[in-house]
Amino acid sequence: MTRATETTPRPTSWWAAPARPVWEEPPGRTGLAAKGAVLVLACLAVLVPLWIVVVTSLSSKKTITETGGLVVVPRDITFIAYQELLSGGQVTRAAVVSVLVTVTGTLFSMAVSILGAYGLSRPGSVGHRFILLTLMATMFFGAGLIPTYLLVQTLGLTDSYLALILPSAVSVFNILVLRGFFMNVSQELVDSARIDGAGDLRILWQIVMPLSRAVIAVITLFYAVGYWSAWFNASIYLSDQNMMPLQNVLIQLAQKQEIPVGLGQAVRAGNLSGLAVQMAVMVLALLPVAVLSPFVQKHFKKGMLTGAVKG
Amino acid sequence: MSTLDTEKADPAARAATGRPPRGDRRRDRHRSRTDGRVPLGRRLRRDRMLLLMTAPVLALVVVFNYVPILGNVVAFQDYDPYVSTNGITAIFQSPWVGLAQFERVFSDPGFWHAVENTLVLFLLQLVLFFPVPIALALLVNSVLRPRVRAFVQAVLYLPHFFSWVLVITVFQQILGGAGIIAQTLRQHGHEGFDLMTDPEIFKFLVTAEGIWKDAGWGVIVFLAALAAVNQDLYEAAAMDGANRWRRMWHVTLPALRPVIALLLVLRVGDALTVGFEQLLLQRDAVGPGAAEVLDTFVWWTGLRSQDFSYAAAAGLVKGVVGLVLVLSANKIAHLMGEQGVYRK
Amino acid sequence: MTPNAVSTDSRRTAPNRSDSAPGGSDSGQSRRGFLASTTAVALAVAGGAPLLAACGGGADSGKKDGTTTGKDAAKLLPAFVTSTVVAPDIAPKNGSAAGFTRAIASAELKASVAEKRGKGGALTIMAPFWGPPPAPDNPYYKAMNEAIGLRATWQNQDGNVYDQKLGAVLASSEIPDVVVVPGWNLGGKIPSAVNAKFEDLGPYLSGDKVKAYPNLAAIPTDAWQRSIFGGKLRGLPMPASYVTNIAPFYRKDLFDAKGWQLPKSADEFLALAKEITSARAKVWACGDMTWTAYNMFGVYPGSDKALGWHLVDGKLVNRIETPEYLEALEWTRKLYAAGVVHPDEKTQNQGDTSLRFTAGQCLVYNNDLSHWYAKTSEQAAQNPKFAMAAMDIPGHAGGAPKLWATNPANIWAFVKKGSSKAVIEDALAVADFTAAPYGTKERMLTDYGVEGVHHTFKDGLPVKTDQGNQEVSSSWLFVASPAPYVAHPDTPEVTRAMVEWQQRMGALTSKTSFYGMTITEPSQWTGLMNDFEQLEKDIVRGRRKVSDMQQAVSEWKTKGGDQLRDWYKKLLDTTGSAAG
Repeated sequence: MTRATETTPRPTSWWAAPARPVWEEPPGRTGLAAKGAVLVLACLAVLVPLWIVVVTSLSSKKTITETGGLVVVPRDITFIAYQELLSGGQVTRAAVVSVLVTVTGTLFSMAVSILGAYGLSRPGSVGHRFILLTLMATMFFGAGLIPTYLLVQTLGLTDSYLALILPSAVSVFNILVLRGFFMNVSQELVDSARIDGAGDLRILWQIVMPLSRAVIAVITLFYAVGYWSAWFNASIYLSDQNMMPLQNVLIQLAQKQEIPVGLGQAVRAGNLSGLAVQMAVMVLALLPVAVLSPFVQKHFKKGMLTGAVKG
Repeated sequence: MSTLDTEKADPAARAATGRPPRGDRRRDRHRSRTDGRVPLGRRLRRDRMLLLMTAPVLALVVVFNYVPILGNVVAFQDYDPYVSTNGITAIFQSPWVGLAQFERVFSDPGFWHAVENTLVLFLLQLVLFFPVPIALALLVNSVLRPRVRAFVQAVLYLPHFFSWVLVITVFQQILGGAGIIAQTLRQHGHEGFDLMTDPEIFKFLVTAEGIWKDAGWGVIVFLAALAAVNQDLYEAAAMDGANRWRRMWHVTLPALRPVIALLLVLRVGDALTVGFEQLLLQRDAVGPGAAEVLDTFVWWTGLRSQDFSYAAAAGLVKGVVGLVLVLSANKIAHLMGEQGVYRK
Repeated sequence: MTPNAVSTDSRRTAPNRSDSAPGGSDSGQSRRGFLASTTAVALAVAGGAPLLAACGGGADSGKKDGTTTGKDAAKLLPAFVTSTVVAPDIAPKNGSAAGFTRAIASAELKASVAEKRGKGGALTIMAPFWGPPPAPDNPYYKAMNEAIGLRATWQNQDGNVYDQKLGAVLASSEIPDVVVVPGWNLGGKIPSAVNAKFEDLGPYLSGDKVKAYPNLAAIPTDAWQRSIFGGKLRGLPMPASYVTNIAPFYRKDLFDAKGWQLPKSADEFLALAKEITSARAKVWACGDMTWTAYNMFGVYPGSDKALGWHLVDGKLVNRIETPEYLEALEWTRKLYAAGVVHPDEKTQNQGDTSLRFTAGQCLVYNNDLSHWYAKTSEQAAQNPKFAMAAMDIPGHAGGAPKLWATNPANIWAFVKKGSSKAVIEDALAVADFTAAPYGTKERMLTDYGVEGVHHTFKDGLPVKTDQGNQEVSSSWLFVASPAPYVAHPDTPEVTRAMVEWQQRMGALTSKTSFYGMTITEPSQWTGLMNDFEQLEKDIVRGRRKVSDMQQAVSEWKTKGGDQLRDWYKKLLDTTGSAAG
């Protein structure tokens, strides 16, 4: 299997548009303008608020006091909020915890989800409708906190990282999406592999998964983001501060600044604004997402999978 | 999923039985499912690998979903988790009240009002929100310059990571009564306005906030589907004289259809879920008349005061409705020739 | 479409609850709501200590509903022995806190606990925490444990989801030795859980037995009375002043500059507010003034269900039935309608009113009295001209308002039922230590940690070091605190002003019939008041009419309000009022 035939050759400079396929007519001027306008507006709708968040996180208490809220026009830039957040090593330690939980959890979730989705994706297999229904019902019927807590406690998972992974390891939504894409894989390829004597595991590994790279990337992202941003389970199941993941510590740090402070802290806080800290927390939470974005995107290249299908 | 209808035989069946393929897969499937000429034991042996693969998921779901879901029996009780040594034994000591909790739910006008708001919001989200990620995906996909495309994509999905508190704050700062637009108007001698506290337009506001936060995030599933489109089809269509729009209609959209159908079916099943934190946060701004939806109602009347039985009853009602909706939507998808969530 | 990856999480996620005013019934509180309706000014000095109390305290079913007062209570209540360790600079009067305007040098600190009271055992304590809790086994915890003589381990749980954690822990078989329960988490079935899961401390504290713990003996009897749950003395209280904690603050600097006079009546307030407001210049007169309106019009407290009942001419009347209640709502509604309230106030979770106040976009707001110190000290470095003060609450028709007392304790620590004598005595040892009054070594260690490690003295004032700010945890105060006091030696004038404001308001304060009692209502009526808080908000914001409230009140009567009245009446007749 090769991913040989990318239909769009690499551009020569970063800005140059790749060569348009010969069969494609050049776009009309109005069409191009309309498309550009929509994209610019959509991006501005995100970037303007993001700008406000970033500027506020970099503002001093004086500036924030004068504006009485979020800051739009930067005046005096200060990194004091970030210094406050990153001092003391709490955030670093919690970030390590979060990375480990996210990586472990995502790998585990992906493993069971891919297996499960494939196991349910072969038409006519015995019991698959029953299993599907069993899974789907959990999308609609939930349990209260108390029974879930009692279960986690009975299993001895409280104060353990497993409590952050196992109860939320399966997302039926993700499995259904994976399954939908798996079913779309050309049946001829699967058949011919089977004639060559391949078992289900090999078919999954060598045919279905390579052909489903895009959706696997998407679902990996879904799971990873889920683990990364989860905080509630940790706040209920963990009681040791040294075990807390990043989101919880960030929430705590944002809260700390809101509490009317006593003597010591008022003096120390000086030019630090609680709002700036909250916004800095927001920015810190966005950073890994922005950093990871290109890695996910490379799996979405147009026609990337076509070559593989033919190959 | 056209491949399904054209595929030849069930190779798994062939591998297990050693018999030649039947030729007509439909008949084969039909037979294997209902008339039992292939004994169950043989089918189990045939599919044991597949079953084994689903075992971990099933085990997790049974332990971490179904076991606690059993706790929902308290919907038929007047449950007090504290009457006994723990919440489980308390189930055996709490009085059984039959369907009284359900009667409480159904006889409350507040419940029906919340259902009405929920359905209105759901329909708005379906019509105004659901198509946006699809349109955005097509738009992003049509951008040829890779850097521009990567940039647009990265920007659009960022708001998903904003908390609801922040999203609403941002909207307030721009559209609120002391927001940037209102203040600018006032400074130029016009009347200010306040879009954030008007119960009449609240449903549109909620939808707009949702689109802003999650539409870009929703794009990525469709991009994944677009990545799998065979580019040769476009060339072939172009050769046949199909213009840009016709190619989108005849090549791109059919490729997206299974995904759209799947997500649509699941969204319909989740019709009674239209947001929780987002609405609770804006409850004071517009009042429960506009902001009360099913989930906030259950929280407000049940969970807030630890009326677990009431909350469980409302949850069961919601679950049953959701399940019925998703199965119906699935059925409709089949009638329209789509795979939906699963084939009956 | 919302692809939620870890769906179980989002389903169970606890949102920030909307703010809950003293006007509310028993709703849970968001962090902001929690801060908004706090009292216990006593704590303001403890760095990072959230200032607590005032709100919540609903009640629910229980094996034992009702309350205990009169003769029954007298048998349970600990004897009161006033503490004479350090005389306050401003003596408490009219229910106010005591004021301490000076820092006390470490050499002059007194000892209030004669010896190490702990038996050296292990003790787990679960408490809510706002902010990053200190690491376990840090030098501050070690110093506290060492001084008390035991090994306390803290389970500091996120304060925003504490109600859920608490609900789950109490339903499990593994309850920590000591559990802190704030009044606003006492909704629903938690009161019955308190009765079922926590130990009766009467055998250790009732009557003269408390004298073994001198600092606990100095806790006012009011606060102990409030700690009787289900007929037993179960709670270790965190006492609070009963004078209203909701102060209407104004920008004194701007008022002085413009020559604005403080309003003396509801009408004057409205007129002044119209004069102040200039939306074009982004200046609005005030924030949401509902809480102050209740005080101006003399509405019975809404912070606790039982407090809202009062005996008038032999008949119990609920706050929602009074004409004052409707008038207060009507007046607040006028403020909104006149456009003098900052627009963001309509959505109570939009930013911080005090931020708009310091920015000069909103010149009057009401909040906990502790804001006086917090905002003043915060702005000292930012804006030297900044000056704020609390205005005396004007009577609605001019003259003095009729104010009503709030609860004298609203956070408790409980000991697990079935604990051994050693564990209970260790818990009481902690309580006796943390309830030490201002000016003692115990108080100093609890609030500021170890000198040289957690704090140093600068210009005669104790200042926390970075380590102190990270480690010194206010949670200890939840186990028990001394009688209410205000101590801000860095701003003696603010300390004095705060206490004096309390004293002036205290002189106008009376007690409603069930003051100071913890009452568990029969379960069938606990939900009766659920919708009133929201209806109040709808009315003042102009979405519903005042007549809708009258409608709701008459429905409330028929749905059980009248029966509830009879129930309370019977309770009053059998137990007698605790109100003086």
